[in-house]
Amino acid sequence: MKISLQGRKIIGGQAEGEAIVTRQLISFLGGVDPDKGTVVERGHELEGQSITNKVFVFPQGKGSTSGPYVIYKMAKRKTAPSAIINVNAEPIIAVGAAMGKIPMVDRLDQNPLDLIETGDHVKVDGNRGVVEITKKKKSG
Amino acid sequence: MKLTDHEKKTLDGGFGTGPQDAMQLLMTLGTVYDAERMIPVTTCHLGGRNVLLGGQENIDWMTDLYEGGARFQVFTSWNAGCCDFNLWKEMGLSEKLVEDQKRSDEIYVKLGAVPLGTCLPYYHGNLPMPGTSFAAGGSAGATFVNSMIGARGNREGSPSVVAASICGVTPEYGLHLKENRYGKVIVDLSGLDFAAMTLGDFSALGFYIGRTLVDKTPVIVGVPRQITQDQIRFLISPMPTGGAISLVHIVGVTPEAPSVEEALGHKKPEDTISVSRKDLQSSYEKLTTTRGGKVDLVAFGCPHCSIGQIQQIASLLDGKKIHSDTRLWVGTSRHYQTMAREMGYAKVIEKAGGLIIADVCVAPGAPFHLVKGVRTVAINSARGAYFIPGACGVEVIFADTKECIEAAINGKWRA
Repeated sequence: MKISLQGRKIIGGQAEGEAIVTRQLISFLGGVDPDKGTVVERGHELEGQSITNKVFVFPQGKGSTSGPYVIYKMAKRKTAPSAIINVNAEPIIAVGAAMGKIPMVDRLDQNPLDLIETGDHVKVDGNRGVVEITKKKKSG
Repeated sequence: MKLTDHEKKTLDGGFGTGPQDAMQLLMTLGTVYDAERMIPVTTCHLGGRNVLLGGQENIDWMTDLYEGGARFQVFTSWNAGCCDFNLWKEMGLSEKLVEDQKRSDEIYVKLGAVPLGTCLPYYHGNLPMPGTSFAAGGSAGATFVNSMIGARGNREGSPSVVAASICGVTPEYGLHLKENRYGKVIVDLSGLDFAAMTLGDFSALGFYIGRTLVDKTPVIVGVPRQITQDQIRFLISPMPTGGAISLVHIVGVTPEAPSVEEALGHKKPEDTISVSRKDLQSSYEKLTTTRGGKVDLVAFGCPHCSIGQIQQIASLLDGKKIHSDTRLWVGTSRHYQTMAREMGYAKVIEKAGGLIIADVCVAPGAPFHLVKGVRTVAINSARGAYFIPGACGVEVIFADTKECIEAAINGKWRA
């Protein structure tokens, strides 16, 4: 099953990959290990999981205005997500995605947190603000 | 967003990848804030220059921009770093830290920055005109210029300030727009005895107001017309840390507040609060993380000390001796450091065992944790006390100037 959503372009470019989804906010500074590409924030529902080369779906960023540097560092070290989908973008994540040249969209016509599950295959077209979801096969 | 032909050409790479990347970043910011257009900035001030804050990623990113043809297009100064290039040994710092800071500075010099090295850039040549827009890292300075000069700027991170300086523009959002500059909450200070208030008290008061109002621009009433710039700096610099306030109206004092009505944009205030001595006391208690034992370092200079403050510190230290296990740093600009030497204050402070250091942030980009044996720092600033535990990993005592000096002499906090 394929679902197509229309949103707002934040950063252009196209990418696709396996989705990783959280309903919790993300701080890259202190919350993500830029060398390993894993979430390290204590008690976060994604703690220990890798976001490298995945389509990272979360509500929005939080934390220090130094957060963009961490996203930039991850892009340089090839540990960054392949694309970012936010419910509503704020400047820390958006500026980081601009520095790291990571395709990013927000304000989709339906809530991505309701429609996208971890493991779904997601295509992000940052240029047109379009997201295409292929649901993973239900096992068992 | 509507762009001019020149901005479009920049975005399409017509001036190289450096300006293109910078414009892309500004476009992103503009998109997030629903800005309609770009507006010119007249001056910029860079916070990420401090190597303890910006780090290697900052250097890498700025090098990419430089190699892509980017240069600063408007007057751009840089903030305090992490070491005095002449007094680093006396400060107990390593040569490696000095080299790291110098290496980081190189890229800023290449891009065209003016090395002011202070969070008081507005006293040293970086002074935008009223009503014009600026881009600045360092929330204390940005709040001062917004409030006292009536120039317009937002609280922002270092990358967008760098991009604004390269493109000479910034997206028009937030405090760049007059309609967002009106006050929301009246803060009545007429119950306070200003004549009895120390600089620490002004700082405690500012932190309380920030914490209470969170992000609502205050319209402060009941302040005597004779309030000094030192007092105002201490009052407003903690507001962006207690809350997220970057503009403060003081009726009868600041340029956009000739009257309560005008400061509020002729609208009704959302709320009115009055502040008592007790509220102010709560900031001292809330920000202090330890009360016992040794004080390893006493710091003044968040924001950087004016020559008047240096004079006060020198007079309190005259003929006294700082405890042999305790350090005392007076952080200021190079200009005031030179003046303090000429006027004899440096001699008095050094004779007592302290140092007047220039080009150094004493919080949040301070190198306290890199000085051997420093576990507890006392400071006369709520803004400093807010940053120090998290940024430097040491305990902090927030107290007024006189109490801090007493602690420096005794080597410990009073029982």
